[in-house]
Amino acid sequence: MSLTDRIAQGLAAGWKVTDATTLTTDQTHEADVVVIGTGAGGGTTAEILARAGLSVILVEEGRLYYQKDFRMDELTAYAALYQEGMSRVTRDGAIAILQGRCVGGSTTVNWTSSFRTPDATLNHWADRFGLDDLRPEAMTPWFAGREQRHNIAPWATDPNVNNDILRQGCEQLGYSWAVIPRNVKGCWNLGYCGVGCPTNAKQGALTTTIPGALDHEARLFHGLRAERLVMRQDRVDHLIASALAADGVTPSGVSVTLRARHFVVAASAIGSPGLLLRSDIPDPYQRLGKRTFLHPVNGTVAQMPQQTDPYYGAPQSIYSDHFNFSSGVAGPVGFKLEVPPLHPAMAAGIVPGYGEDQRDTLGKLPWLQSVIALLRDGFHEDSPGGTVSLRDDGSPVLDYPLTDYLWEGLRRAFRTMAEIQFAAGAERVRLIHLDSPWFRSWKEARGAIDALPMKPHRVRVFTAHQMGGCGMGADPRESVVNSFGEHHQVTNLSLHDASIFPTSIGANPQLSVYGLAARNSTRLAARLRS
Amino acid sequence: MAELPARSDRLSTMDRRSFLRTGVGGTLFLGTVGITANLSGCAGKPAGRYEAATGISSDYRFGFLTHDDILLFGALLPAIIGPGLPQQAADRQQAILGTIERIDAGILQFGPANQKELRRLFDLLNFGLTRVTVARVWPDWASVSPAQAGAFLDRWRSSRIGLLNNGYIALTKLSNVAFYGHPAQWHLSGYPGPPAWATQALPQFQNAS
Repeated sequence: MSLTDRIAQGLAAGWKVTDATTLTTDQTHEADVVVIGTGAGGGTTAEILARAGLSVILVEEGRLYYQKDFRMDELTAYAALYQEGMSRVTRDGAIAILQGRCVGGSTTVNWTSSFRTPDATLNHWADRFGLDDLRPEAMTPWFAGREQRHNIAPWATDPNVNNDILRQGCEQLGYSWAVIPRNVKGCWNLGYCGVGCPTNAKQGALTTTIPGALDHEARLFHGLRAERLVMRQDRVDHLIASALAADGVTPSGVSVTLRARHFVVAASAIGSPGLLLRSDIPDPYQRLGKRTFLHPVNGTVAQMPQQTDPYYGAPQSIYSDHFNFSSGVAGPVGFKLEVPPLHPAMAAGIVPGYGEDQRDTLGKLPWLQSVIALLRDGFHEDSPGGTVSLRDDGSPVLDYPLTDYLWEGLRRAFRTMAEIQFAAGAERVRLIHLDSPWFRSWKEARGAIDALPMKPHRVRVFTAHQMGGCGMGADPRESVVNSFGEHHQVTNLSLHDASIFPTSIGANPQLSVYGLAARNSTRLAARLRS
Repeated sequence: MAELPARSDRLSTMDRRSFLRTGVGGTLFLGTVGITANLSGCAGKPAGRYEAATGISSDYRFGFLTHDDILLFGALLPAIIGPGLPQQAADRQQAILGTIERIDAGILQFGPANQKELRRLFDLLNFGLTRVTVARVWPDWASVSPAQAGAFLDRWRSSRIGLLNNGYIALTKLSNVAFYGHPAQWHLSGYPGPPAWATQALPQFQNAS
């Protein structure tokens, strides 16, 4: 239960950290490598390169928040730590996008679930995209190494009631379930992972790889937005970045130019294609921003007879993969079942009601339980994903049409989740859907679910996992980077984040990003030192 | 503040462009409202310090919501929150204004793209012609009863037009999160707040450093 804060200590010891919102003059800096983004991919990359003796500059649009700022308060955390103040949505507004925007990226606000990339996914990538060197046996040591770095192990404490209800329901129905591996050290089991870990137990980028990089002379700029990579012949010459004003949203007018031998982009599946599109990076086959995946999420809420206190305890500790790969890797869409924590603002934001109905539902919060399904998109030809493009102001936006293939999966997932909750003893269940009443029994729910419209907006769809948009592959005609994240056309440009996944993962992606980034950064370090 | 009118002029030009380019569906009427609202001069400025008619005020400075937007939420919140609001008149007004302040503070972190979307939505609801034709609300918002506001929410919620469903979600989500998420309303959801044993043990909750 150490209360030693690595960030406060490091800042006091003279880490090279610049809050770009305080800059008053344009400036230029240079390093061996500029890394754009400080999440799972950027943090891993910066630490490995810095430890190898390379000079590294890290660029982060969000701000540096750490233990002193993590006060277990939803409203301030959602406004400060999430993209667009938690208001990010797909172009038509039909899918809400939860994504971190701070040093550490989404690893600062995720719920700590840490799965290896499923074997079926890696084998599909090899078979379909020519990524033979990412077969499970080749990736195993990289995942093992990252599990050690981030202290990842199955949660040894009892699950909270919220998670245990998923376990009980699966047990009743004969569905498989398992304990979730989490990246925590000395976790207090509080339940506030999503608003910034208040105890520094979470071993995300913020408490591991970022300090590791800064200890090895890396330099971090936060509050600095990467605007454009500027090419010179066939190489990236420099990055132009805009310092943000004190509000952390609008540019202050101060410009920072960063020069390097090599550039690593790790700005997420929305941010990375956005930056490359703004930069007019060569894209001869029009692949940039295509095949973006989300693990589209739908959910149900149950009122239980026993108190659940769904705001307390490790938010995710039990999952079920019973329906994930059961129809084959490329059959009807599979889904992973998990549980979300329910705090009052989160619950009020996802339950789409108002007035007395809303007050009555939220009034039952201490007895509420929720199950979510994460659809494994991108494995079937009828699930081609979405497209990232640029708005008039240059900011990236994702267009993600939900296909009939996915609607069928969402309906099936609704049925399964309600069935599990009733099997675990729910008094009543409602879908997170504009037209769903409370159902009193599984029998009542089953018939009604088949009749509910599966349409944008009516089904409330969410995503906490953004993947693809700069997909990897052996064939440059259908991909942006090779299996090492190296850009097919630009020799000193790499991508080290979830944007390179050619499909979704079929599991929470943070360990997939850590593992691939570690592998690709180790190779990059060797390349740059030779 | 001299730059504010210039900024709205630029927005209206952009609205006109996307309106001319697309010319169908949502962009048509939302874009039209943007133009009409700007032409008719009802695109307001952020309200800054706001004093309600009842005399209730605070030190908060509105950075996004206009006077008209505040009246709009003043009419919608009694329907959206309904029985969750305090019964006593002064407490009720205070809870409503506090919630509108938090809605404003939240929107300020949304960034330009979503702010622009919300500006279009609020202009559509505030501009008389579209309030009547699209929202089908006859009185101005200051005179709308909770029952009329509820009927409006029901229409947009059940509409077959996705854009109106999206408007319903935007209005209710902003309001529900800002209201139920605030410590003053935690008692309504039975949320006890962060465990006291943890806040007592953690350094960031001790005397401000």
